[in-house]
Amino acid sequence: MAAPEDSGAKRTAVTAGHFGPDADRRSAEDRAHRGDIKGALGVVSSLDTGPRRTLSHRLTTLLAVMGPGLVVMVADNDAGGISTYAQAGQQYGLRLVWLLALLAPVLYVNQEMVSRLGAVTGSGHARLIVERFGRRWGAFALSDLLALNFLTLVTEFVGVSLSLGYFGISRFLSVPSAAVLLITATATGSFRRWERAMYLGIIASLVAIPLLVLSRTHEPSAHLTLPVVPGAHASGVLLVIALVGTTVAPWQLFFQQSNVVDKRITARFLGYERIDTAIGTVLFIIGALAILLACAFAFGGTSLHGTFSDAAAVADGLRERVGSTAGSLFAVALLDGSLIGASVVTLATSYAVGDYFGLRHSLHRRWSSAPTFHRTYAASVVLAAGAVLVPGVPLGLVTTVVQALAGVLLPSATVFLLLLCNDRAVLGPWVNPRWLNALATTVVGALLGLSALLTLTTVFRTLPVVATAIGLGTALVLAMGIVAITSGKRGAGGEHQVLDDSPVWTMPPIESIEAPATSRSRTFGLVVLRCYLVLAVALLVAKVVKVALGS
Amino acid sequence: MKPQVSPAIRGPVADQLADTMFALSAPSRVEILGCLLAGPLSVGAITSMLTMEQSAVSHQLRVLREHALVKAERDGKRRVYALYDDAVSDLLAAALRHVERRGRTKRGASPAAAGD
Repeated sequence: MAAPEDSGAKRTAVTAGHFGPDADRRSAEDRAHRGDIKGALGVVSSLDTGPRRTLSHRLTTLLAVMGPGLVVMVADNDAGGISTYAQAGQQYGLRLVWLLALLAPVLYVNQEMVSRLGAVTGSGHARLIVERFGRRWGAFALSDLLALNFLTLVTEFVGVSLSLGYFGISRFLSVPSAAVLLITATATGSFRRWERAMYLGIIASLVAIPLLVLSRTHEPSAHLTLPVVPGAHASGVLLVIALVGTTVAPWQLFFQQSNVVDKRITARFLGYERIDTAIGTVLFIIGALAILLACAFAFGGTSLHGTFSDAAAVADGLRERVGSTAGSLFAVALLDGSLIGASVVTLATSYAVGDYFGLRHSLHRRWSSAPTFHRTYAASVVLAAGAVLVPGVPLGLVTTVVQALAGVLLPSATVFLLLLCNDRAVLGPWVNPRWLNALATTVVGALLGLSALLTLTTVFRTLPVVATAIGLGTALVLAMGIVAITSGKRGAGGEHQVLDDSPVWTMPPIESIEAPATSRSRTFGLVVLRCYLVLAVALLVAKVVKVALGS
Repeated sequence: MKPQVSPAIRGPVADQLADTMFALSAPSRVEILGCLLAGPLSVGAITSMLTMEQSAVSHQLRVLREHALVKAERDGKRRVYALYDDAVSDLLAAALRHVERRGRTKRGASPAAAGD
């Protein structure tokens, strides 16, 4: 409603023939999701949707739109991420670098899909799953997410306590202070203030670069083994899955979609949001590689190689091998990653809760205006901080368990994502092109393959891992071929026409779109996936217990 | 409701008003409010009056409750929903008068509304 006819004369930028600027047309779950983009570095009026002809205009638009992608990608190098990269570098030198190189495009493909869903639909991921797959799947997805996010948040506070512990600060001081900081950054009801706080964290995350430089000059790389596939033993497989799990996590999907919606980025600005995600991916790979390489260089060929216990020991080891500056830089990187990660993981939870229940959920709102949103956030932070302060928790092990668990649960999230991105009622002309489907299917297949590998090596202890990997790879390629053929058929058989050639097509109000045709094969596939995942999680837990008891 | 020039409709108040109007911006929610004009009802009763699933009715009731347009009450063992207060029924009546007057002055002139 309220098409701004009176402003039409002044603002010729409004796309002709439309009801209003697409920011107003787009379906919204919360009124605060409509309006001007108010980013940390600029503002774009909701009426200002015209073409950007000059480079400076494009740049200012990019600066204003930029944010969700940067934040989510830098948050990826959180407490779990940094300690896993450090572990990979310390235990295996450069042998796992290939995996990071492989994960960067995976990350971009996934995050681009969710930001597209957010910009075009105006809905969060949880709501879309409820609406398109039913309440039961929605509840499953939400409960998965909440459990995993809470555990992840605990690891972020572990990161805070370890990093400040390096400087001799008691966790009974550091953890409560971090909790207060996290709550105040969001509860003031200003999206812009929150994003600026995140930008400070992003700048601070660059300390990983001087850390790498210090470690690099310290130790020549001659000692290092060449990058090859890691050795075939159980802890190596567990570490690979932990690395994938920490890098590609469900909370990132939920967070970025909701954050794009909350930032009021519409389909008109999707191009800029893609650039944002791409820049974020570059920052992610820089941060992750710097930590991994620094630990590989510092510990390669020394007595500390292969003796990883936790991130605090890494900081101590860096001080011992490289110098006190390096130890401090690592601790700062860990603290910074933990804080950004904590904010983003917790927001993923409170966005999803608001989105699922239809309650207000926006960083534009103060505490009194969106009580459930802010209470969920504060309660998560306080509970997780409290859990860290309980004595006797094996903190290093918790991190690995969480990341491995995330690696196992991720396949279901990506299956939903892939199905949503092929739903014409939801994305209209913005559905995945076929090449992207092929790529995304490969990604889902690879993630499923890794989970399967873990499951099999747990059940059959004597089965050689390499032989299993080859066998699974072959099976996977076959399965992917089948999926590719069936999805190709569906694409050709279905309505091939683009519904509306306008570049600003947005989803109509979600309650007005038709229910998806219930395809028996789709439901069957989802059920099988779930059963498999339950089994995989059970076996993973068994494995962790075994590794913990055995060592 | 006499028309008044209201400098009070500014800033946070304007935000709250816009939030209220946002809650009224879905046909399904307006229909639910329409059912409650006659008196308090349970979710099941509302569902039987409308062509909506019970889960959808519950969802929309939650939205209406958050915007203080509807309140939940206990009626013995049952939980019933009612309009929050008389101001809400006045609001609906005023909106209805507004729509009917527009309908008389420019009947058929309004473009086909999107959605259902």
